[in-house]
Amino acid sequence: MQTVKMVISGAVNAGKTQFIRAISEIEVVSTERKASDDTKLLKGETTVAMDFGRITISDDLVLHLFGTPGQKRFDFMWEILSEGMLGLIVLVDSTRPETFRETNRIIDFFTSQRDAPYVVAANKQDHENAWAPDELRLALRLPAHVKIVPCVATQKDSVKNVLLELLYVIMQRSAD
Amino acid sequence: MALVGNLRDFALADFLYLIDRGYKTGSLQLNRQSAAATLYFEKGKLLYAAQAQERESLGEMLQRTGKLTPQQVQQAVQLQQTDGNQSLGTVLVERDLITREDLQRHIQTHIEETVYSLFGWPDGEFCFNAGVKLDRDDVQSPVPLGVENLIMEGVRRVDEWGRIKDHIPNTDMIARFVDQPLEKAKSINLTPDEWRIFARINGKDSIKEVISRTGLSEFDVSRIVYGFISAGLVEVTRPRPPVPATGRAGAGAAAGAPKRSLVSRIINRIRGM
Repeated sequence: MQTVKMVISGAVNAGKTQFIRAISEIEVVSTERKASDDTKLLKGETTVAMDFGRITISDDLVLHLFGTPGQKRFDFMWEILSEGMLGLIVLVDSTRPETFRETNRIIDFFTSQRDAPYVVAANKQDHENAWAPDELRLALRLPAHVKIVPCVATQKDSVKNVLLELLYVIMQRSAD
Repeated sequence: MALVGNLRDFALADFLYLIDRGYKTGSLQLNRQSAAATLYFEKGKLLYAAQAQERESLGEMLQRTGKLTPQQVQQAVQLQQTDGNQSLGTVLVERDLITREDLQRHIQTHIEETVYSLFGWPDGEFCFNAGVKLDRDDVQSPVPLGVENLIMEGVRRVDEWGRIKDHIPNTDMIARFVDQPLEKAKSINLTPDEWRIFARINGKDSIKEVISRTGLSEFDVSRIVYGFISAGLVEVTRPRPPVPATGRAGAGAAAGAPKRSLVSRIINRIRGM
């Protein structure tokens, strides 16, 4: 059985757990705990370790989805998780510009560690005050070749679309 | 749809960059404690800026700068009150008390100073409403201002390491020009120190090397490079790790890239879900 993995990252409350939950065929394995820091102001429970989801591709191939912990003190996990990943999805909460700086830090970390394909998913596009993908590109100063995909992490079709966009990027860089 | 946030998280320089590159038209409302300011943009250029609690009228400003005497101001105000439809600026120009160019230059200076003072706000709520247009008075409206110069001057007043470090986390970073920087640089006035650094940006040398060659402090160089970044002239990258000498798996494919057939299988599966 071959397994491949994708990593889903983003600032606290960007929607990583929901994203994986929307598409995973198994109940998401989440090591959530009651948060002890200020993240609990954002949601009752926050991811303090990681989320794990799975999609069976065929009898001999499985795709694993790993959600990274959002808080800075778990940065050391990112390097471990990103080892051997097929690609990366960086979720950004389009309604909270206060998280753009952290989102940039995450992108910077992953792109400096590995030359991995990635897309940015502009989550919460169904919210009234969401910044549009074009505005996020400018705010995050993303180069033109990096895809920003509109996303609503609670909707399966939207999550599928983000995964497919990432896979198209991976396909462009794949070997014959 | 409004873009809302706080300057603490998304600095004014970043917002002006977004306006410029996004070719935005609209009004930006800023509020901090009891202070408030409004800026109007058209197609990425600044048209007007004013603080809500400005005490000084146009007449008072022209009097303070020695452009008009108190008597001239008083005369113009009386005429304006008689004919309530005209702005004070129009009255002054029509009565040859000031030329249109002089008037616009003074207003422009005032607008610039207003924006520079806003760079000093460490925080403050912002709300940008796209599409909102300024009710223009042709006489009193100066030529739309490019924001690059405003950013450069505004950033000269920034003294927060934290904000600079967001863009330049360490001095191993390498600065390089974005495409066609000179087109933008034409409209920017640089100080001699800024030119010294600008001339040493080559996409190869680290910030550390620029510091050593110019003899300027780390803070000064970082702040100047931060200004270039904010104005959209320069970007910084991490030094690239050395590329292994071994061949690649396929033309255009990254080392260790997955096989095309494997990616196809995953795509087909996701599509079918």
